[in-house]
Amino acid sequence: MRLTQILYTKIGEWSKKYANLPDRYIKRAMEQVYWRNPKGIQYRPNTVVKRKKFHFTLDRPWSAQFAETNSPGRLHPKVFVEPIKKWSFFRGDRVEVLVGKDKEKQGIVKYIVQERNWILVEGLNCKLTKLDRGGVKIYIQEEQPLLVTDQVALVDPSDLKSTGFEWRYTQSGEQVRVSLRTGRIIPVPASAEETRDYKAKGLYVEQPKDTSEKDLGEVTFEPTLKTFEMEIMDQMGIKEDRIPKKSYWY
Amino acid sequence: MSLLNNIYNQLRISHKYVNRLFKERSCYISTSPIMRDLMEFFDDKKNWGATEVKTGRSWTKDDLRIKSNTDLHKLWYVLLKEKNMLYTMEHEHNDQVRLFPSPERLDKVLDSMENLEEVVRERNRAYYELETTEIGEQTHKTITGPFGLEIDYYETEHSIPKEVNAQWQKEQNTKCRPEDVKSFLLKYKEKEYLQNKKQQRRNFNHVIGLLNRFPKMDMEALKEQYPDVDIEKAKASRKYKPPLVFD
Repeated sequence: MRLTQILYTKIGEWSKKYANLPDRYIKRAMEQVYWRNPKGIQYRPNTVVKRKKFHFTLDRPWSAQFAETNSPGRLHPKVFVEPIKKWSFFRGDRVEVLVGKDKEKQGIVKYIVQERNWILVEGLNCKLTKLDRGGVKIYIQEEQPLLVTDQVALVDPSDLKSTGFEWRYTQSGEQVRVSLRTGRIIPVPASAEETRDYKAKGLYVEQPKDTSEKDLGEVTFEPTLKTFEMEIMDQMGIKEDRIPKKSYWY
Repeated sequence: MSLLNNIYNQLRISHKYVNRLFKERSCYISTSPIMRDLMEFFDDKKNWGATEVKTGRSWTKDDLRIKSNTDLHKLWYVLLKEKNMLYTMEHEHNDQVRLFPSPERLDKVLDSMENLEEVVRERNRAYYELETTEIGEQTHKTITGPFGLEIDYYETEHSIPKEVNAQWQKEQNTKCRPEDVKSFLLKYKEKEYLQNKKQQRRNFNHVIGLLNRFPKMDMEALKEQYPDVDIEKAKASRKYKPPLVFD
């Protein structure tokens, strides 16, 4: 019972990859607690009344727009999301659009919403929207989401044509996407690992409060037959020879 | 005049003495390398009014396991000071009705502190298990509570054994009337049963909805996501009306 509830509200790994935010923050930012059980003797301790079902859109769950969409009392029609075994479309992948006015055109994936099986393809499947900002009218092209299940197809890098694919293991035990038409491996682009803070892990620029790579990897632990407190007391020259009174744990 | 001068001199000397004493003491109080007094509760002035403050990731357990106890002890206070600083800044931003930049910094610090505490407890548990065959932590067990439901009971420290502790005995024996407990449990379990049943039905209907919408769906993925739903049974339902597929 609880498992399915968790599945409904779980944020996809690839949706939050680019933002590089800790899970704790995402949970805190999207949480909507209406009531908590008071402390003390209760027949059901730690009961929380909070919003369980969230309506996912192109806005990220920690954004103010998401909170606006899911503000208390706002309900949305039920959304059916097709279950997928393994997510296979990553930022920077070349895909072909199979529906709409940009049918048979190829583009690069730039945004993922895993909760809805959506991706945005750069410059394709756009909608022209008119914004009226104080008398000044602006027209903007906005990419509309495409379903990964049947509205886009991956492009085979060998002949640049759309293809079906399958996840298979290489001899070294690595999982790769293999084109069903040519049998060639479709590599996962390097930009799949890209985040707001760095293009690749090696290219991260250290910030003033960061621990340096060298200090982080330095092994200073030496096992001794002491607890943490005993070792700290020894090093600080704190001597404790008082004998505590006998106590009982129950 | 001379008397006044004398008093003034005395005052000056005593003032000097106090100052010196305070300076000596203050050296012992704070061990941080940079003395910024109360301004240590605030962020660096460069970050005031910034829209974003970039930081790295939090300390993981694997990072902390290779560090000595002294390092962990020092790191704890670094993190604690950072946490205090962030809470102060958050409060100040709220006071000034401004947006607190990069609030995820707080979560990174709290995550690091939790991980650090867990690593320290791991080490202590290893020591106590080796020396005393107990984990050396507060133990808890599942007992039947006053409402007849199972609850976690955390053992606490007492100065007298439980056989002579009349107050504790009295607390333990406070129970609801058995007939009340019985009727409460009956209703509680009925509610739980109905909730489960409802959820099962909802899942079953949801699976039918999925089958009707996505005829080419991956059945294994469906089975993985809804393990308690019998798909064959769902397909036999009268609600199952899949669209025609022309291939």
